[in-house]
Amino acid sequence: MEEELDLSKFFDNLWVTIVWDDPVNLMNYVTYVFIKLFNFSKEKAHKLMMQVHTEGKAVVASGTREEMERVVQQLHEHGLWATLQRDDHGRV
Amino acid sequence: MNMGSGPPYKEMTMGEFKGSAKSGDLSVALSNDELHILINLVEQLLELLGERNFVHHYQSNDPFAQLMAASIGNLESAIEQPEDPVLRRLLPNAYADPESAGEFRKYTESSLRMVKQTHLMYLREQLVFPVDHELPKADIAVTDPTQWLIAINDLRLALAVRLDIKQDSYEKYELMKDSDEQKPLFAVYFWLGGIQESLISHI
Repeated sequence: MEEELDLSKFFDNLWVTIVWDDPVNLMNYVTYVFIKLFNFSKEKAHKLMMQVHTEGKAVVASGTREEMERVVQQLHEHGLWATLQRDDHGRV
Repeated sequence: MNMGSGPPYKEMTMGEFKGSAKSGDLSVALSNDELHILINLVEQLLELLGERNFVHHYQSNDPFAQLMAASIGNLESAIEQPEDPVLRRLLPNAYADPESAGEFRKYTESSLRMVKQTHLMYLREQLVFPVDHELPKADIAVTDPTQWLIAINDLRLALAVRLDIKQDSYEKYELMKDSDEQKPLFAVYFWLGGIQESLISHI
């Protein structure tokens, strides 16, 4: 556990937040949440929403572990299904 | 994800929103039946979220509350995922790894519960029957559309878990016999989707 903490400090920016698809959340609601939380343009939010919808998941943010924990908490507050993990270069 | 609802259940309206959030005059017309249904759902979900209340003490600044929480023995260990599938959906794991998820939950679950409770309590306060019982519908001012939206979304998520909603549930619902006792619940679920969609279009 010690080792892992040190590592995450070293690779500070290597955490990502992933939003997973679910059959309940409305497409325009998910777009709305992306705009509200991330200040994305309507186009970018729509594109990411479509990625979640068609591919089952999408990386919506990256940053430090602490930043991603905050983002995941906000997404959960809005009812989206999100997790954070170490960035493994797109292979989520 | 859900593409949006088809036509609502025939005995219910879509929830008629008027005005817009931008001009500050957004309101929704709800019948007494619709109000009853919404109030019932909100109160049930509030009750469900209210379980494990002691966790709130643990983050409280009140030293006595902290002492009480400590005596329950929840300070040292990570918190398990809730057993109820609805709570599992509303308070999901933040990490795939159970150990990290439990550790994160220890520090965040109580505040997540509180945020959800706050939205639902706000919505509950807004759902007031018209003073004039003769009026067919209550005209309710939507002063904080975001709270409405999130609360209604949580209600839909909760119902969806209970009804095991899948991508093709609307097609299945359309084929349901009127005698099917689950049909009214599905109707409420799709009705809420219509309300949510209509609300978003007015924000």
